[in-house]
Amino acid sequence: MSIDGRAFAAGQAFLLSAKTYWTRVLYPAVREEYGKSKDLEGSVLYQYFCWLERHLQRFKYSGRYGLQPYHAQQRERLEKSLASSPAELRDAPEYPEYYTRIDIHQHPGGVWSDPIAGFVYERGARSTTPLAGGRHRDLHDRLTAAALERCPAPSRVLDMGCGFGKSTRPFYEALGSGKVEGIDLSAPCLKLAARDATGAARFRQVDATRTDYPDASFDLVTSTMLLHEMPPAVVEKTLAESARLLKQGGRMVHLDFLPASDGFSRLIHFGHGRRNNEPFMEPLAGMDLAALLERLGFRSVEILPFEEADGTLAPEYRYWRFPWALISAERW
Amino acid sequence: MIPEQTFFPDPALDRAFGVVMALAQEVWVLRDRMAAMEAQLAERGVLQVEKLNAEPASDERAAEREAFVAHLLQNLLGVQQAKGPR
Repeated sequence: MSIDGRAFAAGQAFLLSAKTYWTRVLYPAVREEYGKSKDLEGSVLYQYFCWLERHLQRFKYSGRYGLQPYHAQQRERLEKSLASSPAELRDAPEYPEYYTRIDIHQHPGGVWSDPIAGFVYERGARSTTPLAGGRHRDLHDRLTAAALERCPAPSRVLDMGCGFGKSTRPFYEALGSGKVEGIDLSAPCLKLAARDATGAARFRQVDATRTDYPDASFDLVTSTMLLHEMPPAVVEKTLAESARLLKQGGRMVHLDFLPASDGFSRLIHFGHGRRNNEPFMEPLAGMDLAALLERLGFRSVEILPFEEADGTLAPEYRYWRFPWALISAERW
Repeated sequence: MIPEQTFFPDPALDRAFGVVMALAQEVWVLRDRMAAMEAQLAERGVLQVEKLNAEPASDERAAEREAFVAHLLQNLLGVQQAKGPR
């Protein structure tokens, strides 16, 4: 039986309200409990906290009102809308094992295997951070502002792991047509990105660890939420490729997640990685990125907490949030 | 098939709570639809919202409700409804 639009929207809204409650009420309560005992072993509250994080996401993608079945009902129309997308795709793409082994975000089939995966991912990403609501775009505008502050008026920009183009859009809107390229492994996402960019940016199916661009092709290389999806060896290759692609004096700006060093922040963040099918959160946090970047030919390395919305870095901010971090360096 | 992650000491609770949340979601979907229907019917003058919302003068559905509650709670008795092995 098909799910109508109202039922889908109501089912998803229920999940978002539940996630918002989890964010605003359960998370501070878990934190308080941890503060008292420094241990959540046996905590019933923490068990429900973990269960909800895991299964609200499962419901979101796979349940009766899930993103995947709802979009699959509209498969023919959605696929047709991508038919003339100008994305530049490989004839026989090869996907790395780490990329295909796990369905990240609990998205069935991952973000790459189903032709409609870009639509599913796009819709799902609208509610990734419950409190952002309609302001989710702020995050990408803020990253663009931070990048352009460090690298004003770049003539060429590369957005690695661009997905369906959400992170690329503010760059091509700020800089104009013809200056920005997005690369990703996922053909369905690239098709959606290129369709929606209407020629303002180029989108290509290229592995960020071994691109086909000549040395020193870009003034600015960026990524958003890419590094934590990669094992450390792949992160290292991606950063080395960033170094190769940048002109001297060019800037690399990656927005990702690095938890604070305290036990609670790490427990919550690494647990999130497991529960959300993102197993490389913990290994990324264990890397010495500053030393690696210097070894790769970068200087002026900055690894800073990133304020994704007003007030989220204030000490009194109590709600759950991703530990956003800006990782930036200059090529020399 | 990969076994689902579990978070409670008894994995039965992991599964049962999934049933609870699925039902809760269904309840919200139904409430949303009913509210939308009421709004559309009221807009067309088919429904008198005030009459619908008012406390009923009599217990209109007592027998139906009691049957519903019995159906729900007889599960707690743990008694076979048809004779069979223990």
